[in-house]
Amino acid sequence: MTTLTWERVAVATGPGEGAEEAVRQAYREAGLAEPERVLVLPSPLAGAVAAAWLTGDEQVRASLEQAIVKQNGTAVPAHGGGDPGRSVREAVRTGPWERARAAAYAELGPGGWAERWAETGGRLWPQVERLVGDLRRAIADWGAGRAVGSGRDSAVAAGRGRITDLGADQDGERLRRVTLDAVLGQHDAPWLSAFDDADGLGGLMRVAERAGWWWPYERLAIVTERPVELHLDDLGRPHRADGPAVSYADGFALHAWHGMPVPPGFGATMTGLTPERIRAEPNAELRRAMLEHFGIERYLAESGAEPVQSDETGVLWRIELPDDEALVMVEVVNSTPEPDGTSRTYFLRVPPWVRRAREGVAWTFGLAEADYRPERET
Amino acid sequence: MYRQGDILIVPVPEESVPGGLRPAPRDARGRLVLAHGEATGHCHAIPGPGTLSRGFLHLPEGGRLVHEEHAAISLPKGWYRVVRQREYVPGSYRVVAD
Repeated sequence: MTTLTWERVAVATGPGEGAEEAVRQAYREAGLAEPERVLVLPSPLAGAVAAAWLTGDEQVRASLEQAIVKQNGTAVPAHGGGDPGRSVREAVRTGPWERARAAAYAELGPGGWAERWAETGGRLWPQVERLVGDLRRAIADWGAGRAVGSGRDSAVAAGRGRITDLGADQDGERLRRVTLDAVLGQHDAPWLSAFDDADGLGGLMRVAERAGWWWPYERLAIVTERPVELHLDDLGRPHRADGPAVSYADGFALHAWHGMPVPPGFGATMTGLTPERIRAEPNAELRRAMLEHFGIERYLAESGAEPVQSDETGVLWRIELPDDEALVMVEVVNSTPEPDGTSRTYFLRVPPWVRRAREGVAWTFGLAEADYRPERET
Repeated sequence: MYRQGDILIVPVPEESVPGGLRPAPRDARGRLVLAHGEATGHCHAIPGPGTLSRGFLHLPEGGRLVHEEHAAISLPKGWYRVVRQREYVPGSYRVVAD
């Protein structure tokens, strides 16, 4: 097996060999007896459902069953019954981390530790945190009986008077809370990268190199596999136009457009965008993604927008958008002509309260309109 | 005040400049770089004497603001604040770089 950098561990895909043995090592290093059983499941959703089921009471199981019925078509794991025992997350993960952090802090001092963190976990964490947050939200959406990525749509719809299903939201919240009990496996890479040379973390590190989220209990460990596919854009955000950006072997998937969770099929609509389609999109966030993709200048040209005001600084455009603040742009002509003698124009979006081009240009420099008086411009 | 593309240079009284600022280093060509372009590698720069620290520019002998795509601007001696142009993003804003 090739050794992956922590950056690669965080985004690795496919089943990892030897996850069970690595989990057993983590228990031993924590001074615990090995779990009697290790259950391997295909996704963090399957893991969360199993963990909620095994640790929940009759009521929890009944509502989980309902959620499973509602989401027919989504594969849900068969898992043996039996008492898994108490969670040993504190002993397996939190304790060893805290000891490693204290040792590093004692050795490096406050400044040295801050520096170590800045060049290891601090660099990796923002990207991984986004992914972890998106997965948690998707698991909660599943529990609430919503299609993954549609939570924001429902929120918009609710704002218009639709009654939300409070019971379903509670089920979603219950599953989301279960995800907080997970050890994050490959998504612990940012933290583990800061303790790369620490003693007593070998098992945790080996699990992270081989598996996704996992739930350690006294007698049972629930381990889940990494995604089968993960697509990122050049900024490291989940993104894919022609399918889910993240997908697991059991069909659990995240659709995302440059990091923004979107409903399935959203990417496909981006190829045939028209100003009418953009205007008709009721969800403001999705509409912004559409506008950005389509190009605001092109939107202005093709939607038949009329300029509202112009002066020597430029031209002000305004387009009303349903359920969202207006799109207000100043069109500015570059003062220095291009080599071919033409002047390049460009558009800058300004706040919706701007009424005059000069006011807009002044805002782009943080000034009040009256204070913007350049005596020379090039 | 003077504008070169996405940069605004605003004269300020010396008393308004915070004390104890550390001067920014010059680039490999010995220039004070006021702002880098995002994609082009072009930049707004002052080739002559002066100091730049935390957005405040001091030109004790005056100077010349140059950029690959814009005409140069002569600046009288004095203190200036350097303002980057920004763009509105709902809920926030982002800096413009040409």
